[in-house]
Amino acid sequence: MSEADTIDRAAARATAERQELGAEAAVGVLRPSSRLARHRRSPLDRPRFLYVIMAFVLVFLFAPIALVVVFSLNATPSLATFGGFSPRWYEQLMHDSALLSSLFLSLQIAAATTVVSTVLGTLLALGLVRAKSRWTRPTQTVMVWPLLNPEIATAVGLLLFFSQFGLTLSPTTVTIAHITWAIPYVAIILRSRIVGLDPEIEDAAMDLGATELGALRLVVMPLLWPTIIASGLLIFVMSFDDFVTSYFTSGSGVPPLPVAIYSMIKHGVSPEINALGTLMIVLSVGTVLLALAVFRMRRPVAKGEAVVDLTGSGVA
Amino acid sequence: MHRWVWRLFLIPGAMWLVVLFVVPVGFIVAVSFGTVDIVGAPVYGWHPGNYTPILQSIYIRVLLRSLTFALATTVICILLGYPVAYFVVRFGGRYKGLLLGLVILPWFVDYLVRIYAWVSLLGDQGFLNGLLHAFGMPGSPPLRLINTPYAVIGGLTYDYLPFMILPLFAVLDQIGDAVIEAGKDLYGTPAQTFFRVTLPMSLPGLMAGCVLVFLPSAGDFATAQLLGGPNSYMMGNLIDGVFEGGGFWPFGAALTALVLAVLFVPMLLYVRYALRGGGVLSG
Repeated sequence: MSEADTIDRAAARATAERQELGAEAAVGVLRPSSRLARHRRSPLDRPRFLYVIMAFVLVFLFAPIALVVVFSLNATPSLATFGGFSPRWYEQLMHDSALLSSLFLSLQIAAATTVVSTVLGTLLALGLVRAKSRWTRPTQTVMVWPLLNPEIATAVGLLLFFSQFGLTLSPTTVTIAHITWAIPYVAIILRSRIVGLDPEIEDAAMDLGATELGALRLVVMPLLWPTIIASGLLIFVMSFDDFVTSYFTSGSGVPPLPVAIYSMIKHGVSPEINALGTLMIVLSVGTVLLALAVFRMRRPVAKGEAVVDLTGSGVA
Repeated sequence: MHRWVWRLFLIPGAMWLVVLFVVPVGFIVAVSFGTVDIVGAPVYGWHPGNYTPILQSIYIRVLLRSLTFALATTVICILLGYPVAYFVVRFGGRYKGLLLGLVILPWFVDYLVRIYAWVSLLGDQGFLNGLLHAFGMPGSPPLRLINTPYAVIGGLTYDYLPFMILPLFAVLDQIGDAVIEAGKDLYGTPAQTFFRVTLPMSLPGLMAGCVLVFLPSAGDFATAQLLGGPNSYMMGNLIDGVFEGGGFWPFGAALTALVLAVLFVPMLLYVRYALRGGGVLSG
């Protein structure tokens, strides 16, 4: 055995002893004598593993999406090897009239959903905050429930409802179904904004002679507009992207885009889906970034707060 | 202005939700006890027998599988989501908003495009198998990744991870640095400060995150359809099979009612929590 080895072993033993000492000291925590504990290294103090997990999650989240985008530009149909850049899948997409009509149908459904649910959701939020009545709490329960209910159950219920009343499944039934989950979303986002308003602003307006309705129109609404527009943009994206509800409530005509994509994937992968997916990523992410920018216009917000507020503290 | 004007504001939205959400959920239960006429339209009645096929082992197995997948997804989301939320709050610094935005952004990519991304990554002709093949791994495909339970759980984690991170971020962000400092001043090690201060204070957000991940995972069907195949089918796939495959609607309604019944407890927990001011409805 070489001398270096012996020294290494001695050093290792010393380290182990120190660690044991540290562990003992830690047991005596909250006792002032154990000052060692304050300086003991811990993974939570030097969060190298936190950096690792953070990096892993970012790769986990973005690698699959990046793959879709990269292979949408592939010159060959392979999804495994890249054979040079080519816009051929985008060209093929531009000539796919069935998919294009699905795309326009989804845009129409999203637009109608956005308008109706934003109006009804904003009214609901105002009513919830201002009308203190015994109906407030039941209304809140009815409002949270659709967000938690498994989407497939909501969709099946609507399917049974529509067929019971003889409504033929069509883009109209899809829109009605989307509005149903969109109203609670708008109402929850708007509600937290209204609750956060300073009531003195309104009082001031009324002291200056405005009626309550006048104060709402002239003072409160201008403060709410950025939030209303931002939540409208979010609803647009969510409706445009919605699959489960659209799947159960659309009829035999032109399918909404996500339903069309579903049957395409079922038949097998194709780079055309990559091209379509890339366009949808650009559209959705662009709209969300716009929503976030509008939302931050309202006032300087703490970092990250806009994201949390806008997503209703994570209820989806 | 009188209070009744504000109450008028409540009416359109509340009526919409009652007629188009509460009533349809009632229809699920009603149809599940009914039968159908000769053209397949629901006829209401008392036929609890619609539920008896569910007791067959195949359906029980699918139900247990759905709950297992959802539970596994929830656990993985905690293991990944808690460190991420903690990291963003404590070590994000001036990039806090940007980091949170980055973690949430993929959720706004279309649900089916995200699943498709995984299909193209894990498929037999997909990217990973292409890589393995290029490195000389034999077999065609070199590794079976798609059509496995792992692919489904991975896909579900990908779908719902942001729902864990957001509520955790919200609670962790509320914990002031002063509290953490106090823990250290009382000679707590970082680990003790975490387990006796940070973790207990973040429990409401953790609970909310678990419910928000578990519920949609348990009710999912497209992920299992496209990444799992028949051996990984979940309750949603059975429901889909009945309604889109021309099956007996009362049985499909019974399956849906069963899912609702199983998930009712976590839903109720969350609604109570939210109404007490802990969650989305807090001022």
